[in-house]
Amino acid sequence: MNKNNISDLMRRFSVPLMFVLICAVCAPVSGLSPSYLANEIVTRMGRNAFLILSLLIPIMAGMGLNFSMTLGAMAGEIGLILVCDWQIVGIPGMILAMIISVPISALLGLFCGKVLNMAKGREMITSYIISFFINGIYQLVVLYMMGPIIPIKHTSIKLPRGYGIRNTVSLLSMRQKLDNLIPLTIAGIKIPVATFIVVFFLCLVIVWFRKTKLGQDMRAVGQDMEVARDAGIDVERTRIISMVLSTVFAGIGMIIYLQNMGNIATYSSHSQIGMFCIAALLVGGASVDKASIGNVFLGIILFHTMFIVAPKAGTVITGDSMIGEYFRVFVSYAVITVALIMYETNKRRDKSKAGKQLALEQEAANE
Amino acid sequence: MNKTDKKIWIYRGLALIVVIGIAAAMFVIGRGHTIYFDNKSAEVGGTTIDAPYSIEVYVKGEKAAKLKSGERGMADTMGQTFDMQLVVTKEKGGTSSRVNVSLPIPYNMDGVILNLPVLLAGKGPEDYLTEFIPTPSAEEEADEEVVTDETGDLMDFGDE
Repeated sequence: MNKNNISDLMRRFSVPLMFVLICAVCAPVSGLSPSYLANEIVTRMGRNAFLILSLLIPIMAGMGLNFSMTLGAMAGEIGLILVCDWQIVGIPGMILAMIISVPISALLGLFCGKVLNMAKGREMITSYIISFFINGIYQLVVLYMMGPIIPIKHTSIKLPRGYGIRNTVSLLSMRQKLDNLIPLTIAGIKIPVATFIVVFFLCLVIVWFRKTKLGQDMRAVGQDMEVARDAGIDVERTRIISMVLSTVFAGIGMIIYLQNMGNIATYSSHSQIGMFCIAALLVGGASVDKASIGNVFLGIILFHTMFIVAPKAGTVITGDSMIGEYFRVFVSYAVITVALIMYETNKRRDKSKAGKQLALEQEAANE
Repeated sequence: MNKTDKKIWIYRGLALIVVIGIAAAMFVIGRGHTIYFDNKSAEVGGTTIDAPYSIEVYVKGEKAAKLKSGERGMADTMGQTFDMQLVVTKEKGGTSSRVNVSLPIPYNMDGVILNLPVLLAGKGPEDYLTEFIPTPSAEEEADEEVVTDETGDLMDFGDE
């Protein structure tokens, strides 16, 4: 292996390596027992994996990190709010919430895909802004239309003024119902078997999807849109499908996430979720144009280990737990920034390399 | 519309019907109710039905409540049929008898009050079953400020 290869590898895995170092330093300092840490990581893996997996398809289609996954999360929340008001509980409640969320997510994904087709090359910033725009509409629906237009019966969900949804909606009736469906504890670590089965099924779907005609088309579109178009692929349609799939999976993922949490923060649950999922994926070694299932799981382990140990380590080192809190939020945003900078740098370097190569070839041809 | 398109639309229609069917099934099997059990004396048709000394209520094999005369217990249930086992002790120190009860719960009621002595006396649902209508707590009635933007304060520069 030559020096260039090693430096390439180091650059590619610099973020995961940095996180391994942070975790290796902070974990012993935090004083948390290994069994507690393992328990927390397993729980968070079940909670977040589905959401993060939903990011893989747009990356495959060359649309970068899907910041608009929050659209799906909002659809999932709407499904859960309605199901809570109808008093459908447990697993049937979750399934019904998913059925409600799917058409909403699909419509939002369709809208987002169409907008992103108009903003080719600027997908990430556009999807980020779309998430703010749709958040405004979500607030309009949840804050003003739920009650007078969309019937909401229960006072525990509805605001005292008679319309709008409360800041927090309790999901006690379906809290961890999926996680505890097949109970299993190994060496004191609670394993959410049913949730892992669902996540495993999504992994299989993604692996299978990559081999289908549509999956191959998406990869072709992701590599070069013009070449894909010349090959007869409907580029726009393929990109829209990738956004629809991602948003639908994000909606289902949000329902799995919230059943584990046990309550919905109606106006804020979805806003942070996109950022943390993207950060976790990047921490796992993914980039804007390349991500795998392995990156998802490595990312969850490293990012959430940091999430768990940082506040405790902060308390031990500085005597102030808020330092650790700030640190983990700062790291989440920093890792996204670093990934975006690296992506742009690599893109420019590749472009300049290709330009030099072309110049050399032209020079050789002239001679 | 050619044959393939027709086939695709038929499959889509069938898939939609299946999904709607699943949703309808979830509505029925997933409907949650809170069941309140009263071990209280009641008057039905001019006759007084006395409450026994104690009633133990078992739901899905687990003890949900142990009710002395005049007490109330509760359990959450899912679905339209409620099964329970009652262990009834008529007098203090007396022998206990076990009774298995299975009864339909009205779909439109979130909370249901069952008067167990009336139920055990073999009366009809109109006598032993009433809807529980909760009164909102002071906490629920208190005005709640909605926070839609957690960064909102950052843009608050104060009054000039």
